[in-house]
Amino acid sequence: MLNNVTIGQFFPGDSYLYHLDPRTKLILTIAMIVLVFIAKSFIGFALVFLFVLWCALSTKIGMKYMLKGLKPLLVIIGLTFFLNLFLLRDGEDLLHFGIIRITTGGVRMAVFMAVRLILLVLCSQVLTLTTSPIALTDAMESLMKPLTRFKFPAHEISMMMSIALRFIPTLMEETNKIQRAQMARGADFESGKLIARAKAMIPLLVPLFVSAFRRADELAMAMEARCYRGGEGRTKMKQLHYGWRDGEAFTVVALMFAVMILLNRYAPF
Amino acid sequence: MPGSPFEVKALDDVNLTIKDGEFIGIIGHTGSGKSTLISHFNALEKSEPGHVFVNGMDLGDKDTKLTDVRRAVGLVFQYPEYQLFEETVEKDIAFGPQNLKLDEKEIKHRVTEAMLLVGLDDSLRKASPFNLSGGQKRRVAIAGVLAMNPSILVLDEPAAGLDPAGRRSMLELIRGIHESGVTVVMVSHSMDDVGKYCDRLYVLDHGRIEYQGTPAEVFEHGEELKKIGLDVPECAKLAAVLREKGFDIAPGTFRREDMCREILKNLKK
Repeated sequence: MLNNVTIGQFFPGDSYLYHLDPRTKLILTIAMIVLVFIAKSFIGFALVFLFVLWCALSTKIGMKYMLKGLKPLLVIIGLTFFLNLFLLRDGEDLLHFGIIRITTGGVRMAVFMAVRLILLVLCSQVLTLTTSPIALTDAMESLMKPLTRFKFPAHEISMMMSIALRFIPTLMEETNKIQRAQMARGADFESGKLIARAKAMIPLLVPLFVSAFRRADELAMAMEARCYRGGEGRTKMKQLHYGWRDGEAFTVVALMFAVMILLNRYAPF
Repeated sequence: MPGSPFEVKALDDVNLTIKDGEFIGIIGHTGSGKSTLISHFNALEKSEPGHVFVNGMDLGDKDTKLTDVRRAVGLVFQYPEYQLFEETVEKDIAFGPQNLKLDEKEIKHRVTEAMLLVGLDDSLRKASPFNLSGGQKRRVAIAGVLAMNPSILVLDEPAAGLDPAGRRSMLELIRGIHESGVTVVMVSHSMDDVGKYCDRLYVLDHGRIEYQGTPAEVFEHGEELKKIGLDVPECAKLAAVLREKGFDIAPGTFRREDMCREILKNLKK
């Protein structure tokens, strides 16, 4: 049941994007998302689309695997597409049949929104698939560091995030185990009405919470036993370094921005 | 996860037949496929390709009712105490029978019987399972499975994590269950335990059955067992050393009682 989630999963590999600094990837992913939203024209969209596709292909992770992450969002994407298609009235009529009326503006908007959503997912997929969760939280901590001057708990937040990320697979496995144990006792998680199904979750959730608290206790103890005292004065085993690749990547995305702004000004179709 | 780099073959060419009333031991080191194998026994795992038959029911067949399978095969997982979730011991044990849609009276009867069988005092009926000791919790969990009246009981490392006294009484408890007419399959990596209690053993390594037969037959492969990370019972080791020194120790000596007899026999000479 829980084995099909590819969002947020790291996929070990060795291609260009794997060798970028995680901070670079984080910043550039945000930049790409902004880019996806400022694109206005068909040419602009085509440009971003091809660029993101190129990035995704360059990871050498199977496209099939990557698209699996889109599956849970298919409903939302479809809904946005059809709502825009049927409800937006703008431009010339393409089809007018009873209450159904499709306009050129509607088609345009529907396609743009769907592509936007797909690109958003694809961008974040490329980030999480090529960056290990630990590297990602390290990057966040490093990027949030300037905020510590305003008493912002950057280290604590990134530590909490890495613990949370670290324990997702563990808890997933635990859920699986408890689920199987209860299924062996005849529990049924799949059929029945909504209320019956919600009730069927109790035998799963109670043990899961109990064990999560137990694990938290043990982890806190283990951290204290190793003299964990928060972020102050703590050094890192793996230091983050920007390299020549990062310069390249920043330059490419900056160029994309420049082209996009020019396109928006001079070719707004 | 088939098709991803995380794919593994857990079981390979495993064929075994277990007859009614047997006490079977399955041994192997961590990750040898023991736990995967036993979850096939009540259809928690689908065997593809391959077939599992229980009392003539093909578990891969869509027409086989899962409740029938789970009623016939009781599965007690490793550390079963983590599956407890109810407010009272009584309610927790009743979870299985309730899922079988038995009537109130029958459920109550089965709870009493199961508690008696695992040696839980009747005064604990209304106690919270979370306030019990580790050994007692495990008894509650086993009672929860026994209350479904399985004709086959499968236990995954039932004695793991218990102190020596708890271990002994847990194993005696299982022997008692076996003597009451239940077919028992026990997974363990303690050679002494399986040697003492089981009629027949299967040794798993890397998802394959390496050795099978009576304990005496299996323990003859002392050197080979060591190579796959296992061992032979202490007494079998002692027998080998004594034989080397020229004493006459009968083959198949691995139980403590037999060892004592053999030593006495040698002393009397």
